[in-house]
Amino acid sequence: MKKGMSMRTRHYLEGYMFTLPWVIGFLAFMAVPLARSLYFSLNKLEIKTAGLQAHYIGLENFRKAFTVDVEFTPKLIGTVSGLIFNVPLILIFAMFTALLLNRSFKGRMIFRGIFFLPVIIASGTVLTKLREDGAANLPIFQQYDLASTLSTIMPMELARPLLGILESLSLSMWDSGVQILIFLAGLQSISTHLYEAAKVDGATPWEIFWKVTFPMITPMILVNTLFSIVNSFTKAGNPIMDYIMDVLFKDNDFGYGAALGWIYFLVSFVIIGIVLYLFRKSLRERG
Amino acid sequence: MQSNNVAATIRQTLASGREKTSPYVPIAKRYGRSTASWVFHYLMLFGLAFVFIYPMLYLISKSLMQSSDLSDASVQWIPKALDFSNFKYAWEALDYLPKFKNSIITSLVPALVQIASCAFIGYGFARYRFPGYMLLLGFLLFTFLVPPQTIILPLYIFYSDLHWMNTYFPFVIPAVFGHGLRGALFVMIFLQFFRGLPGQLEEAARIDGAGALRTFWSIMFPLARPAMLVVFLFSLVWHWNDTFEPSLFTTIADKFNLMQNLKVMDGQTQLQLQNGTAGVTGDLTGFVPTFANRVMAGSLLTILPMLILYLFTQRYFVESVERAGIAGE
Repeated sequence: MKKGMSMRTRHYLEGYMFTLPWVIGFLAFMAVPLARSLYFSLNKLEIKTAGLQAHYIGLENFRKAFTVDVEFTPKLIGTVSGLIFNVPLILIFAMFTALLLNRSFKGRMIFRGIFFLPVIIASGTVLTKLREDGAANLPIFQQYDLASTLSTIMPMELARPLLGILESLSLSMWDSGVQILIFLAGLQSISTHLYEAAKVDGATPWEIFWKVTFPMITPMILVNTLFSIVNSFTKAGNPIMDYIMDVLFKDNDFGYGAALGWIYFLVSFVIIGIVLYLFRKSLRERG
Repeated sequence: MQSNNVAATIRQTLASGREKTSPYVPIAKRYGRSTASWVFHYLMLFGLAFVFIYPMLYLISKSLMQSSDLSDASVQWIPKALDFSNFKYAWEALDYLPKFKNSIITSLVPALVQIASCAFIGYGFARYRFPGYMLLLGFLLFTFLVPPQTIILPLYIFYSDLHWMNTYFPFVIPAVFGHGLRGALFVMIFLQFFRGLPGQLEEAARIDGAGALRTFWSIMFPLARPAMLVVFLFSLVWHWNDTFEPSLFTTIADKFNLMQNLKVMDGQTQLQLQNGTAGVTGDLTGFVPTFANRVMAGSLLTILPMLILYLFTQRYFVESVERAGIAGE
């Protein structure tokens, strides 16, 4: 390092040195492709002998997605509504499991091993195969004929999505492996002094949960919500994802596929924006 | 001599840090839980554990069945005869060993590369503040959120122009720059981890005259072992299970990995059934023939290496997750 360089400049330079690889990667593998896909989405692309030929058609592709295409909109709505049902389910389940695992008891390591198993297997083709084969349907639901019971006590519009969730219950639980890990790590980081203080003040376990545990792991709830959303938007077997790939690589409709990709991206961004808005209070408290 | 001093400081600081957040304090004991509470606790645990293991048991049970068992209503879990022929079939159909090698290359190499690159970058984000820092941090989060499908076409064209198709470059080169499959998430994990380490460690090293790079490689990087293990396992497993990128960038059957071949095998068995060339046909009782048993055996074989790896690293993995602080502050 040069002598004349101030401490501050040196600090800056070192910071740039460490982050430079990522910035290069960001430009090459994210920013430029993203800009190009936006350009594609505004054009009609045709494969000519000279390469790709683009005609500017403005927002035509985006209009087509919502007006002409009969498949896209229902799939998009299905994905988003599935998300709204599944994410809270995953969060509650993951939190509950993490609380169970956070106590000290015999066989703790074995149980942990089991609950983290999904992190290892629950992605990709194998899971899709299991779902297709009906492994997701727990025998309990079939035995007690839950479907007809439910439809008698509540309107069909409510019962159907609920049944859908119950049917894939074990698989959405399998999706919560990483979330359990994150919650557990969060629970472990809570100082035991807080619990002791609460106990001395005569708090019940119920109160301790809501006044100590819950506020302490609010950041983890945010992290988990974001992770679950991103995960369900990108996991294998997502109908929108498959559809976009078909449009791109089977129909070779590049401009339209790019537009669908952008719509999908914007929708996920809006949803994440809403989540961040809901969590704004706890974010502000953390500074 | 000096480096000994540094090492001692580090050990001391870490030890004191560990005491403060010493885990596994048996809260339950102090609270004096009742027997009923424990019974409830274990009941819930066993119930949930069953749900988690169920698909796994399903996989094992189905893969050991003969086709006749699948259609037999009296056979639920235990096959009538132990039959390993599905595994033999799947082993051959998957072309196991060559494809295993491909899977290893397309998952182990990116995973190792991501450990190094993401630790390097995460350290920069954790310890340095510079003009444009918040912008870069915003880009990092942004990268995590963009669905890969949105940019897949330009990437495809980009890689074709570079003649990267059917090579391992599309999996390795982005990883070098801290990108690739969920690279942004791994950078964030290291970022959180390094932020949690006390700053005195570097100060001591810097006073001893070590430069920024040396401080990182010889002191901070080795300390990041818990974060490394977490990133390694996640990266390895996610690469192993991924079919999205391989299916685009690898089109020659020779270069397929196991997951891709599992898909191929699944398609083949379904085709055989449609053509009636499978030797199993439907009958008048409405039984629809399936080769679920073979596909399940193939699935099991495909994830087996990851299962074995997990079996051995599980213990360290769970501890590492807790210590790596992937949960944020």
